[in-house]
Amino acid sequence: MTLLEWKPEYCVGDAAIDHEHEHMIGQINTLYDQLGGSVDAETIEAVLGEIHADISAHFALEERLMREASYAEYEDHKDDHEDLLDQIHDLMDSFYADPTEGQALLKSQLSSWFGRHFSTFDARLHKQLG
Amino acid sequence: MLKTIQKAGQLAFELPQRWLDRAFGNTLNPLRHLGALTIFFLWIVLISGIWITIFFHTSVVGAFESVEYLTIEQWYLGGVMRSLHRYASDAAIVTVVLHILKEFSFDRYRTARWFSWVTGVPLLWMIIPLGITGYWLVWDQLALYVALVSSEMLDALPIFTDSMARNFLSAEALSDRFFTLMAFTHIIGLPIFLVFSIWIHVFRITRPKINPPRKVMVGALASMLALSFVYPALSQGKADPALVPETLALDWYYLAVYPLLNYWPPATVWALLIGFSLLICIAPWLPPPRKVAPVRIDLENCNGCERCVEDCPFGALEMAPRSDGKKYASEAVVAENLCLSCGICVGSCPTATPFRTRSALSPGIDLPDQTVATIRDRVTEATEHLEGSRRLIIFGCTGKNKLEKLIDAETAVVNLTCMAQLPPSFVDWVLSRDFADGVVLSGCAHNDCQYRLGAKWTEQRMHRERDPQLRKRVDVEKLAMLWTEPWCDFPNTAKAIAAFRDTLSAPYKISDHETSTPVKTRKHRLRPFGAVLAWGLFAAASVVFTIWPRFSQLAEGNAIISLTFSHAGQRVEECRLLSQEELNKLPPNMRKPSDCPRERHPVKVLFRTDGQVQFDKSLAPSGFWNDGESTVYYRVEIPAGTHELYIGMSDSGREEGFDYTGQTEFTLAEGQHVVVEFDHLQKTFIFR
Repeated sequence: MTLLEWKPEYCVGDAAIDHEHEHMIGQINTLYDQLGGSVDAETIEAVLGEIHADISAHFALEERLMREASYAEYEDHKDDHEDLLDQIHDLMDSFYADPTEGQALLKSQLSSWFGRHFSTFDARLHKQLG
Repeated sequence: MLKTIQKAGQLAFELPQRWLDRAFGNTLNPLRHLGALTIFFLWIVLISGIWITIFFHTSVVGAFESVEYLTIEQWYLGGVMRSLHRYASDAAIVTVVLHILKEFSFDRYRTARWFSWVTGVPLLWMIIPLGITGYWLVWDQLALYVALVSSEMLDALPIFTDSMARNFLSAEALSDRFFTLMAFTHIIGLPIFLVFSIWIHVFRITRPKINPPRKVMVGALASMLALSFVYPALSQGKADPALVPETLALDWYYLAVYPLLNYWPPATVWALLIGFSLLICIAPWLPPPRKVAPVRIDLENCNGCERCVEDCPFGALEMAPRSDGKKYASEAVVAENLCLSCGICVGSCPTATPFRTRSALSPGIDLPDQTVATIRDRVTEATEHLEGSRRLIIFGCTGKNKLEKLIDAETAVVNLTCMAQLPPSFVDWVLSRDFADGVVLSGCAHNDCQYRLGAKWTEQRMHRERDPQLRKRVDVEKLAMLWTEPWCDFPNTAKAIAAFRDTLSAPYKISDHETSTPVKTRKHRLRPFGAVLAWGLFAAASVVFTIWPRFSQLAEGNAIISLTFSHAGQRVEECRLLSQEELNKLPPNMRKPSDCPRERHPVKVLFRTDGQVQFDKSLAPSGFWNDGESTVYYRVEIPAGTHELYIGMSDSGREEGFDYTGQTEFTLAEGQHVVVEFDHLQKTFIFR
């Protein structure tokens, strides 16, 4: 079962950004699948760490492109990024403390964040960059 | 050897810096803004100079009078402007010298920094002549001395055929035109080059600090203004070539080299100045060499977000088109010759996070000699032994701090190259993974970072004003940033750390994403008094070496005699009329009636006082073809009183005797200046 689904309408019109979006969704889905199986906590921590790094880097790049395009909703968009980074840190802590709770949190928080962020913030960004 | 000198320099700076930190706080400490402060003083000089220019007369008679008018009649404005003009120029030298000494002592002139260091040398060669020409324009007694010695220096260069110094030996010799030239040099020529050179000086560094903080500017201007009212700058009596003043107030900041001319020939002084400048220029490459491996980009982890490029204080990073075929548009590229290996870029990289596991922790940019992965290891190692509920981890920088003294059962220390090398997620990681109960960042003074912007970026990242931001969930009550320079002010740093530890009694909670401000150091109660006192002392320092010690050009009871004239020797061969036959051989357009070989005889001059030979030389003609005038410029000090003066000169190449002679009995008063000239029309010598 996949947690997040990549939809063509998520494209923002920048090859690099779209590439990263797709890559991250794949990564998160892999993680989610692994959680269903019998993977040790260390692997999960490692994957989470990579996701964290990738998302941080992705946001950094997206924010740069937004600034360069003088994107009007930059501040709001960036705040949403910062919120997600906070959530990911919380998530990592949860996994670190209790993997089961972490899995639930991953499902409830992350998927909703991505769904919302893609359909609102990134969709608006699409109009600007695309 | 070099290290010992630098160490001594650092000690000499650290004590006053510490005092001034108490008085100003280290963000506003003038000793931490020396370069920018110099530029600010140059602004004062520029503005006051414009006012003076409006009233200045560029003529022999007008120069002195117009400055006197400004100083006396218009004391409330013109006088103040004049004083500001002078004192700010002197203050600029004070700050320049401190700036140079500081950058040298703290080893901020080597490797990639050579450019700013070397381009500072031409700045000195512009600022000093600016001061010299400024003193010259006033045309008082000091100006006359400056004019004479400067011309003697210039005459020693093989660019002038005639002696320039001769112009300043008698009032008649000097023309208004000269003041126009001098004013042009002082007001337009040199300043244009100076501004251009300042631009080059800061060209290679990013976000150069051109202006000091506003409060520092206010302090600097107020101290100069106060000085101008308390001790207005005055002229030292109108220039009179016939008199040498007993003593002069010499501005040692600008003219320190000039008295050397009393003892050494100009060539030696030039050699000294040029040699010293060259020594400064090659200093960055003198041993011991210091070069750490520059940062390296890992394209696997770089998506071209540009944060490292924005944060590099030395312009060592730039974006380039993607080279590895990935879908990104660009990638960061390191200019290795500009990289100081400070690691500030590493701290900015979003992929440099300790939440990644040890094996995978390879950020997009990293220092090969001090990787993020090793910092992660050092944190886990250093915190292993910690016990209790008040465990602290202290991050230090520059590697010369004394923080390790604080290591105990509750305290761990990890030293970095620069504080900004630490990605903010380390703070989150340390606290959330329970390696410690509190984090201290103890680094360079806020505005005096060894790597320029490290402290500033760290503070902005932790305050969430700059990317990468410290996560909001981090309980900032558990983070203290102390910009107190622990190697310099260790007791206060230790005290602040202890006080911070006392606040850590509550267990660490992930905060509810509220914004709060990390702990800062306290302010001192007596601050304003200290600041006023410090600026007062600075003003005093700016003026003291312009009036003391006084300088006397002549030993007591002496007078001076100058021989000064140019005279062309006779031609070695007479002109010869060409015969018709010879003329016919020449092309028609080159036929002239006589052939005149151009070479002249040298001019032989002998000068005696009371029968004692003072000067006896054969002076070669000037010019490439030895066809120019021979020039005599010679000054000699003799005791005041009545003397028998004799001069003889021959221009015909004869071995014995002279073609022209002059003899007189002259009574010289103390400090009198007698000039011996040759009247070309009358063919006689004049003593006056």
